Amino acid sequence: MPSDVLTIDAVWKRYGDHDALRNVGFSLRSGEAVGYLGPNGAGKTTTLKLLAGLSRPTRGSVRVQGFDPSRDRTRALRRLGALVETPGVPPYLTGADLLEYVARVKGVPPSERKASVHHAAESMNVDEYLGRPFGSLSTGLARRMLLGAVLVGDPDVLLLDEPTLGLDPAARRDLRCLLRNLSRNGLTLLLSTHMLEDVQEVCSRVLFLRNGVLVGDEPVNLEPDTGPDGSRRVLRLGFGSGVTAEAVLRAAGPEFVVTLEGPREVTIRFSGGDAAQAALLAGLIRAGLPLVSASRPEPDLARRYLERVGREDAT
Amino acid sequence: MSGEVAALTHNARWEVARLRRSQRIWLLLIPIVAGPVGSGIADLYLRVPSAGTAEVLGLLITAGLAALVVLDLTALAVGEDLSLRTYYLTFALPQPRGSALAGRLGVVVGGTLIAYGVGAIEVAWLANALVSTSSTAPAPILVPAHLAVGMLGLLVFLGGVTAAAGVVTRGASQALVAGILAGVVAAGIGSMFLIEGQLTGLFPEVLAAAGLVGFATCLFQYGRIEG
Repeated sequence: MPSDVLTIDAVWKRYGDHDALRNVGFSLRSGEAVGYLGPNGAGKTTTLKLLAGLSRPTRGSVRVQGFDPSRDRTRALRRLGALVETPGVPPYLTGADLLEYVARVKGVPPSERKASVHHAAESMNVDEYLGRPFGSLSTGLARRMLLGAVLVGDPDVLLLDEPTLGLDPAARRDLRCLLRNLSRNGLTLLLSTHMLEDVQEVCSRVLFLRNGVLVGDEPVNLEPDTGPDGSRRVLRLGFGSGVTAEAVLRAAGPEFVVTLEGPREVTIRFSGGDAAQAALLAGLIRAGLPLVSASRPEPDLARRYLERVGREDAT
Repeated sequence: MSGEVAALTHNARWEVARLRRSQRIWLLLIPIVAGPVGSGIADLYLRVPSAGTAEVLGLLITAGLAALVVLDLTALAVGEDLSLRTYYLTFALPQPRGSALAGRLGVVVGGTLIAYGVGAIEVAWLANALVSTSSTAPAPILVPAHLAVGMLGLLVFLGGVTAAAGVVTRGASQALVAGILAGVVAAGIGSMFLIEGQLTGLFPEVLAAAGLVGFATCLFQYGRIEG
């Protein structure tokens, strides 16, 4: 059974007279990739700062790999990579300077340091820019170099705050692919972002935060309208010519729920697995309905985001 | 290596890399080169009455230049990362923050003190080589050896005040201004004691102690900075 790698327990964080976090609690098991969603000012970055040892909770406890990151920094942060907000780097420093420094501090042995730096830079496609000063890098390249710095030493845990900010579409896709692969290989990831697509592609679980309160903790790939038994399945059917809901219902059977979405499109809900789906489709074809497509609708993370946290910032 | 020692070492190397990349490392040559050169020119072209007075003059020039260097390098060592927010990255690394900053300050403050020491030795040699002391020459206003050591206290004081100001203001430029103001106040008080004939070794000792308190405050507060 995987153990909890990141734990936030009943945490409050107060700035002046404002509570940035209110009784927030969650934990991430080893190898879990979790998205952290919420509008601006919800407290996502504050949470990441607590986990990265940049800040201390006003109340409650924070544990990273079993240690308090604000008290036992060396042990808590040893196998952690964190990119919180957008750190600036002095413009005269090169990527190699930064990555080698990170490798040294993370305890990468001298014999492996160079390889570790190049491996991290390669994974973000910035290997060829290692010798260039930060001041000469574009925003996106600098961001990728910072992500490379976070990956130095092959961390077991990653905390990423808007990692795809400023990246071009190809770099975003590459980063998502990299994070997916790292996650499959056992990396624990907490990904704070406004990019629902990133969460959809990389994470298996999502946390919703609103006004400093955790308002949702659920799997990313929830089927829409899943029933209490978890077996309800939804299919979206396309037809070559116009159909009526009644005609589809007659062909499918009374146990199916049919909703007309358009003249040539219906959504059909039923309980059952692949066999029930195959029988349904066969029945529709036998009844002579001009069925041309059947697909399962994408899980609607944007809709759930709006339901949980309001109508801000969904992208 | 223990965590503290490792952090000191890694960050001392990091500071050297920063000084090298930013070309600021050349500033450390100023007390070694410009101080003695200025002092030598004064020795040759001003009517300096004795080697002792020439030495005092040269030490004031060299220490003044070293003071500017320690102000600048300390302000940047503490304040640059805070104003650029590089600490969002470095504070999340597995190292004690205080030791990390101590390693960096060790390079800039230690480097400046060494540069001043080298410059002071050059000044003493030049003064004795270029200026002959007549039998009627008045005694220098300060004992050169005392001044040479006392100036170390001033440099530590300026570094400590600047470092503490850097953490409080979270900016290099504000820290630099605070250090300059502290230098003006220290020079004013020192001059007053000198005119009244009350300048003793206690004054630089107090300055050095205040500087060390400044460094301690800086390291303590640095460990408590919240991002």
